[in-house]
Amino acid sequence: MYLELAKRNLIRTKMRSILAIIGIVIGVMAISSIGIFGEGLKNTVLENFRDVANEVIITPSYSGGYTTIEKTSLSKLEKVPYLESIIPVKSESALIQYKDRKTYVRIYGMERRSVEELFEIERGSSKLSGTCVVGSTLAERLNLRVGSKITIEGELFRVSAILKEEGARFDINPDNTLILSEKDYDDLFKTEGYSMILVKLENLDDIEQFKETVEKSINSRETKVRVFEMKTIIERITEAFNQINLFLIAIAGVSLLVAGVSILNIMLMSTMERTKEIGVMRAVGASRQTIMRIFLYEALLLGLIGSIMGGILSLLGGYFIMIAILQSAKYLFTISSLISILQGVSFGVVTAVISGFYPAFKASKLEPIDALRYE
Amino acid sequence: MKKAREKMKTDTNQEVVRLEDVYKIYITGNEEVHALDGVSMTVQKGEFVAIMGPSGSGKSTLLNMIGCLDKPTKGRVFINGVDTSTLTDNELTRLRREAIGFVFQHYNLIPTLTALENVELPMIFRGLNDDERKRRAMELLRIVGLEREMNRKPNELSGGQQQRVGIARALANDPEILLCDEPTGNLDTKSGEIVMEILSKLNRERGVTLIVVTHDPAVSGFARRTVRIRDGRIIEG
Repeated sequence: MYLELAKRNLIRTKMRSILAIIGIVIGVMAISSIGIFGEGLKNTVLENFRDVANEVIITPSYSGGYTTIEKTSLSKLEKVPYLESIIPVKSESALIQYKDRKTYVRIYGMERRSVEELFEIERGSSKLSGTCVVGSTLAERLNLRVGSKITIEGELFRVSAILKEEGARFDINPDNTLILSEKDYDDLFKTEGYSMILVKLENLDDIEQFKETVEKSINSRETKVRVFEMKTIIERITEAFNQINLFLIAIAGVSLLVAGVSILNIMLMSTMERTKEIGVMRAVGASRQTIMRIFLYEALLLGLIGSIMGGILSLLGGYFIMIAILQSAKYLFTISSLISILQGVSFGVVTAVISGFYPAFKASKLEPIDALRYE
Repeated sequence: MKKAREKMKTDTNQEVVRLEDVYKIYITGNEEVHALDGVSMTVQKGEFVAIMGPSGSGKSTLLNMIGCLDKPTKGRVFINGVDTSTLTDNELTRLRREAIGFVFQHYNLIPTLTALENVELPMIFRGLNDDERKRRAMELLRIVGLEREMNRKPNELSGGQQQRVGIARALANDPEILLCDEPTGNLDTKSGEIVMEILSKLNRERGVTLIVVTHDPAVSGFARRTVRIRDGRIIEG
């Protein structure tokens, strides 16, 4: 019945209530839409890294004075039983020439099967012996085709394959590189040791044990290598996006704050207008708590109606922002969207109730006689 | 004043209202205004008392004192033998809800509620269940002759009808005391008579104690006792 009373009071000042509800709708929509978009953005970025979570990159410890990883270290790692794969990589920068064009590129030396495992081939075959594989950007830049002949450090190599474009990657981005077999690489650059070892674990849970093994067997006397887990990187990205998200939501929250102030305002107005009515209710037996409850219900109703409408509309808002910025709305209907909506809705309701608290308190504190005398 | 005290001693168990040397003093600027200037009176159960006096004489203040809406600056107010100055706000609320019914000059119905719902309101505050409430509210509307208008909102009722709804609401929790502040003050003669007839019938047949503030001799004519007040003091009764 108190709820009914609250409802009728809101209908009595229909225009005012609608405006207050619109405020809440906008506030909740802003928060939820941005929440939905933020989660979508995060998922879109993380999508690229999901399947590499069990990867570990081992690099020389530059701060320890090492520029390469020793062969002995590699053979120690190869003995670890629970690895899915282990790919040693050598690399160096060098000047290459095709026809009359010269450019500096990063050159990797690795086995054929490693190339096949790490990258996708767009054209040609990955045969690596006196030949090379080039990345898509490099191929485009120098106008290379399968069969083109490139001069590297004075030696001639034929292009056997061109790789597919990759985009951002944490281990090796092959787009602007050139890959030789390990043997050709060694002949050319005469280097000992590796510049990087890519390790894939069978099981994500083995990472801690693996790191321990590395510390004990390779880094026991001095730090020779460093271990980077993709897992940590993914966690960092997630964390960064969560922070960005929080920041955006906080900005959107300002609109909800404004909505809260408008509820405070209209409810203070109705407290004033209904002073006499409050006096009457007190006279016929309403306690202070009852008066407070009636006013809080009004705020709650405004909050609930506005928030639920805002929550539903935020799906639409989220859809448009996603289409506009991510060009895809495939992350619209997810659990995290639902969480964003629920979050927005509860913020909306809480804001409304908090805003209603002061007017309700003020109404409940009126002395019956003063309220009755009020004209 | 002396007379009132003597009466009080003889009939304490039937006494529903007792005021002891009640003052209500307002300070406006440097001046003290005594709205009530040492009022003592008692009302017995089942009495019909008219409080008369010119405007500004303190008669409404006196009624509000009895109804526990206002607190005396000095002196004590007893309702059913209980000193109201010792009660908490919630206890006073309960007293108003269960022992006292108010009828106002301007009816003061809640505009968003229908006649029936207005009558239900004090029972809602008491926590009565839906069926019980509706049944009783309809019965009360029947008593004041408005059962057919029960679903109308106050603005769809005439002044006299609104006042009858007001009376039904005042009776909702079956109070012992009905306090009426100029109940016919806003009504034409005919409607005023109907209202007064209902009130005096309630007093006669149901034994409701009636205290009516008025400056209309036609109203006080219904009463069995008239208390006259001027400048915050009782001058007769």
